[in-house]
Amino acid sequence: MTDLSPRTGPETPSPAAGTKRKWLPMIVIAGVLVAGGVIVTQFLRSAVDYYCNVDEVGTRSGCDVNRRLRVQGVVQRGTVRSAGSDTDFVIAFNGAEMAVSYDGEPGGIFKECIPVVVHGHFDTASDTFLGDRVEVKHSDEYVAVNDERLAESDALADACETGTP
Amino acid sequence: MTPPSPTRATEAPAEQVDGGARSGTGTFATRMFGIATLVTMGWLVAFGLGFSPADRDQEEAVRIMYVHVPTVWLAYLAFTVTAACSGLYLFTKKHSLGFDRFAGASAEIGVVFMALSLATGMLWGKLTWGVYWQWDARLTTTALLFVSYVGYLAVRGLGGSHDQRAKRSAIIGLLAVLEIPLVHWSVRLWRSLHQEATVLNTNGDVDMDGLMLFSLFVGVVAFTLLYVWLLLHRSRVMAMEDQLDDQGLDRAIDARRAEATS
Repeated sequence: MTDLSPRTGPETPSPAAGTKRKWLPMIVIAGVLVAGGVIVTQFLRSAVDYYCNVDEVGTRSGCDVNRRLRVQGVVQRGTVRSAGSDTDFVIAFNGAEMAVSYDGEPGGIFKECIPVVVHGHFDTASDTFLGDRVEVKHSDEYVAVNDERLAESDALADACETGTP
Repeated sequence: MTPPSPTRATEAPAEQVDGGARSGTGTFATRMFGIATLVTMGWLVAFGLGFSPADRDQEEAVRIMYVHVPTVWLAYLAFTVTAACSGLYLFTKKHSLGFDRFAGASAEIGVVFMALSLATGMLWGKLTWGVYWQWDARLTTTALLFVSYVGYLAVRGLGGSHDQRAKRSAIIGLLAVLEIPLVHWSVRLWRSLHQEATVLNTNGDVDMDGLMLFSLFVGVVAFTLLYVWLLLHRSRVMAMEDQLDDQGLDRAIDARRAEATS
């Protein structure tokens, strides 16, 4: 805004308060543009195709076994074992299974018969997926802890058997 | 002859600024909204932390949903109101600054709600997924939406006349709102770590325990009332700020005029 404050003399410099005030939003806008650029870059790089399903590893474009992958599948019943600092389990999807060796103890609500996304790479020598990060997917179902019905348990068991989350 | 003031008079009544009959932003309506907000927030605490059950998988972490989901829905609503008011400012003959102030106030509240939703979502993510954050489709588009509206608010603060502020921010407000459908449908369009919508989905089935759903409903009502209460107060504060700005400019012009004639 044009400075219209009364002049007190010809030698007096014009107050720069208004100019100073405008720097803050300009800095914020610059920060927003940088942040937007980073987000879009990340978005394009990883968000669109967040994971490969177990049955797609080695068959689908972008799911090659010789690169770092994020693989999604359902943790199979009776396969979770702790071996030292590692956790071993099997994930399945659409009838395909994959052995996973995770370096650590999975967090979140990790358990059998729940879909997970494992980050890591495939070791062809041991035919095992070596994971360094496990994320637990949650479904869009919300069931009270004391309201579990037999049918739901059966459905969960069926999903676990078929590897369909 | 006195020349007309170069600034367009704002619609706020003068007594709001000059300490007249009503010196604050409160009215009977806002007080009623305030009381209703407090009461429903009390219900939300009771249902969210007390009456509603724990979830089979998430256990107690499910209670975060009663804040996370209402705040993100209200952020969507706030940004939609911003876009609607931006359109009303741009495409009506009067170009009322009242619409601009509603747009700005709504965006400010939306950004606060979105920040709250992101923070609660990160806490829920750590407890459920095992990680605070991941660049999947939903989280990435939500972060982009949040940053866009921070930018909108920064543009509003760039200075210039009220009309300049209103015009440039209205254009951004109309463009930024287009991100909301992308955020909402990101979990259907792409493979995402974030689950699909339980309530606002296309199949109409709500896979949620009845008491959980009711607690969520209480949360939506409570945050909606809070939004309206904040919107009314904030837009009135903005009107006062604009009026003070105009008065300062008028005083500066008068002083310059006196300087020229002395």
